[in-house]
Amino acid sequence: MEAAPNTDALDEQFKEFIQALKGAVNSAMPHLKDDSKAVDKAISDCKEILDVVLEGNVKEWVS
Amino acid sequence: MFTEKVDTKDFEKQDPEYRDLLGRVLAIQADCEIGGPNLYVKDMLPNAPTKLDQLIVARTAAEEMDHYRKVARVAGDLGVDVSFVLSRTNQERYVEAFRGKINTWEDFAVFGFLIDRVGRFQLEEFIGCSYLPLARVVEDPDVIREEEGHIDYGTNKTAEWAAEGGERKEKVQKAVDFWYAKGLDMFGKSVSPRSERYMYWGLKRRPNAVARQQYKEEVDALITQMGLTIPDPNKGRLYF
Repeated sequence: MEAAPNTDALDEQFKEFIQALKGAVNSAMPHLKDDSKAVDKAISDCKEILDVVLEGNVKEWVS
Repeated sequence: MFTEKVDTKDFEKQDPEYRDLLGRVLAIQADCEIGGPNLYVKDMLPNAPTKLDQLIVARTAAEEMDHYRKVARVAGDLGVDVSFVLSRTNQERYVEAFRGKINTWEDFAVFGFLIDRVGRFQLEEFIGCSYLPLARVVEDPDVIREEEGHIDYGTNKTAEWAAEGGERKEKVQKAVDFWYAKGLDMFGKSVSPRSERYMYWGLKRRPNAVARQQYKEEVDALITQMGLTIPDPNKGRLYF
């Protein structure tokens, strides 16, 4: 059975996106009350990552 | 009735109808998983009422992306490329509920309460299904726990705002009226030859009408408990 082209590459790319998003969220959660700058930075990072994902430029990711 | 269990290495030996239906259902599932974030991230991430809520929006999107990834992996290993769903517009989504946009916090909450709940019903269809890699995805405790988390968050927020009364309750009722019809429609037509073939091949467990009725009973009880009005189940519907 031959896998579809880019299956591995896209899987890896998504793992990176997800890990980065979860990392940002998890780093910010404990600081909601004591470090608003760190929380704002995490939210901004999440927005940046999600903008790329929702753009859906698959060709660019696997090139 | 097909009773075998199929793994990736045996996929090519299967009946063309089995291969076709499996490829189709994987594409639809992948589309629904990534369809959620495409509906709400753009407006809800910057405009959520608190920073905690903003982080919850981001975490929810990350978890839906991971569900997409797992389904896309199963499809890709079969030679079925579902990555086209990543770049399509919301209007091109397979399922009508994902074709619009969520730009109010009430809609975001009710989407979790009603539409993510349909998502749980759809995932349940694949528990113990004939295609083992797909069964393994939906039996993954992380996938179940995350999906339950999205549903609980939406249900709790909906209940909280319904209990506030006044304008907030009216807004929540409006969102329930809208998403209730979309949720019921997500189960498809009650008379569906394709759905029967999915069941024949062991790729789904329940007829559309049965799953829809079970869902309706579950959400009707919750809507009543919240002090909201159960919407007319025939209003705004596309499929019966």
